[in-house]
Amino acid sequence: MSDLVSILDGNTFLVSDDRGDIEPAPDAPTGLFSFDTRFLSTWVLTLGGARLHLLSADDAHSYQSQFFLAPGEPMHDLDTRVSLMRHRWISEGLAEQLTVFNHSRETIRLTVRVAMGTDFADLFEIKNVQPKQGRVTAEPGHNELRLVYQRAGFRRESLITSSTDAEVDAEGMTFHIRIGPHDEWNTLLHVAAVIRDTKGRDARAVLPLIGDRTPQVILAEQQELIDRAPKLGCDCGPLAGAYRRSLNDLAALRYQSITIGVRLIAAGLPWFMTLFGRDSIFTSLQILPFLPDLVPPTITILAGLQGTRIDDFRDEEPGKILHELRYGETAGFEEQPHSPYYGGADSTPLFVILLDEYERWTGDGRLVRQLEAQTRAALAWIDTYGDLLGTGYVWYRTRNPTTGLPNQCWKDSPDAITRADGGLPGFPRATCEIQGYAYDAKIRGARLARKFWNDPDYADRLEREAAELKARFNRDFWIEDGEYYALALDPEGRPVDALTSNIGHLLWSGIVDESRAGRIAEHLLGPRLFSGWGVRTLATGQSRYNPVGYHVGTVWPFDNSIIAWGLRRYGYREEAGQICEAILSASQHFGGRLPEAFAGYQRSLTEYPVQYPTACSPQAWSAGTPLLLLRVMLGLEPQQEHLIIDPMVPEGMGRIELLDIRGRWGTVDALGRSRGPHDPSRGH
Amino acid sequence: MTGATEEFFASLPERAPAVLRSPLRGSLRIDLYHGGHTAHWRVEMAPGEARVSRDSSDADATWVCRSDFFDRLVTGSEQAIAAMLRSETTIVGDIRLFLAFRGFLPSPPGTRDPRETARESVQAQGGGTR
Repeated sequence: MSDLVSILDGNTFLVSDDRGDIEPAPDAPTGLFSFDTRFLSTWVLTLGGARLHLLSADDAHSYQSQFFLAPGEPMHDLDTRVSLMRHRWISEGLAEQLTVFNHSRETIRLTVRVAMGTDFADLFEIKNVQPKQGRVTAEPGHNELRLVYQRAGFRRESLITSSTDAEVDAEGMTFHIRIGPHDEWNTLLHVAAVIRDTKGRDARAVLPLIGDRTPQVILAEQQELIDRAPKLGCDCGPLAGAYRRSLNDLAALRYQSITIGVRLIAAGLPWFMTLFGRDSIFTSLQILPFLPDLVPPTITILAGLQGTRIDDFRDEEPGKILHELRYGETAGFEEQPHSPYYGGADSTPLFVILLDEYERWTGDGRLVRQLEAQTRAALAWIDTYGDLLGTGYVWYRTRNPTTGLPNQCWKDSPDAITRADGGLPGFPRATCEIQGYAYDAKIRGARLARKFWNDPDYADRLEREAAELKARFNRDFWIEDGEYYALALDPEGRPVDALTSNIGHLLWSGIVDESRAGRIAEHLLGPRLFSGWGVRTLATGQSRYNPVGYHVGTVWPFDNSIIAWGLRRYGYREEAGQICEAILSASQHFGGRLPEAFAGYQRSLTEYPVQYPTACSPQAWSAGTPLLLLRVMLGLEPQQEHLIIDPMVPEGMGRIELLDIRGRWGTVDALGRSRGPHDPSRGH
Repeated sequence: MTGATEEFFASLPERAPAVLRSPLRGSLRIDLYHGGHTAHWRVEMAPGEARVSRDSSDADATWVCRSDFFDRLVTGSEQAIAAMLRSETTIVGDIRLFLAFRGFLPSPPGTRDPRETARESVQAQGGGTR
């Protein structure tokens, strides 16, 4: 995908080739997308019937790009009398300023054409190509082309307009132009992605949403968000680059939910430009110390869409927090269950964890009181519907065999939950990290109950249950000969014995017996799990290990950020620092933008992290990773009204200075410096 | 207007203490249309309380729906958010009221407790639940 160029703003994004063209591709996510629908699948520029070639492109900004093009073939018959510029940006759809330059001393006449069309594919129809149920029509008008998709009451439109005179047909616009010597011609093309309700009103006009945003407004909003984040000063180039890039990407991934009308963070380009329970919670946990204002909308929306009934198609139960919400046709017509889909067993305890962590940073007790009922319902889910087998663990098993997810944990590919010998257990499954989250949710829920809900009895009960869960877990999941925790339990309660990165999440949640934490840290930094660039999802030597296997051998930056946090929690400061160093070193090979995942090859083998072929980028929880690593290295921990700062900066990283960290303490600054034989000894 | 819808609205005050547990307050008007006729139902929602009237005055949120479709919602055979995504119903105003109101809508007919079905499946696989 390296020759593809993407721009985005919120969940509207455009993916084109390196000339800026889009050619129809039923099974690839190229084109203009908004709210899970493809509004352009054809957008091809020709001059005198011939395609252009690229001179240079500028994609320094997330929401706009510029292409300089010329006719003819490069190297031999390059025609230098004419060149073209396409400047495009996301603007409630797409805006493209098309300019043709005449560099000659004569007047020239040219025919410029932009072929236009769309299939209105739902993102899920691109993953799995399906014939459309509705009808696409094209309505050429005066300097406009309206492409319409209608299926029962469901209507989507691409309204394409030109600011200058165009000859419009059903498949595009043609411009017969005349340009004087050393002059230029231009037009502004706009593609509005229109979503209509049953009365034909534009749904975005009905809901209280933002209006048309110009690149200047987008830039200003992004800048405002970045300005509110703490300022980083450091000696380490990769860290500075990753921090800046992350803030930019997080700003770009914010979108306005059409269903709800609040600003949320999309999970990742191109497949996950929507709300995920798990991703949004982990991203919120990562960014809390930096961008706390972004967190309440996520908490509020997850609480608002909490499960209310038992619905097998959606794997919904009362109290459960959603897994994935989609806005497209397949969700609406129930060809996919994302309205919303609740097939995630971890989102519900994670929700409680996030609410508590949010209050610990911000002191916003109002939100905790407001969400008491939903938080209690989430805690109740853990012990009721979550505990499918009544054994004191959270289990999952989809009730939607056609379009539901078999694996309802973060490693949700079909082969991810494996035994060391490659055997796959039956269902239900109880993966280890979810038990850790359940434990942490109870501990944190107890704090909230005592402090905000005036219910000490409930708090005592939650703490008692947490202690029992911890004891039970350490008995049932521990693998004696390997000295690590099993990845999961199978339906018979037997350990699924693969060695995986999941044991790092256990440290984060606090469910690990103190006496065993050292052994877990050794595994995480040992040669089977640690590649040198990070902790692999699955250890080498396990039957299904594959360095380019999505959840069975790749390294996930987000996973590593949680592991580093966990190591730090149990006092393994240097080990945590090693992971921070590894991931930040990897980030510089991706221009500061950590992808969703990269390959698990040994660092000494390649000297650079090998790209995973279809990794999403930017991805919210990868963008959040450098932020959480910073928190870990500076040892930032809220304690009542104060922020504890206890830095442990990895050797060679030098000075790290984070200014204006906002929280219930007002603002504070944190300073850390690495101290090792390879560090200059500059003051203390 | 059918019996299912009438019965549904009649049940709301009694069910409100279990369903409306958040501090949210406000009015949701539900406009049910059939042919040229529209029936208005207005639900004043407050913590633990739902007051139902046949009032057509403005509300904090308005939900417009075909009346036969609403029958299917209140008997659990349709789901409200999917219907909204495919523009079969529309909601204008404070969407939080609509989200809270979902708590009154029942499970699909014949739905079983997933714990029962999970335990049966384990027994069928030959294992026990220990």
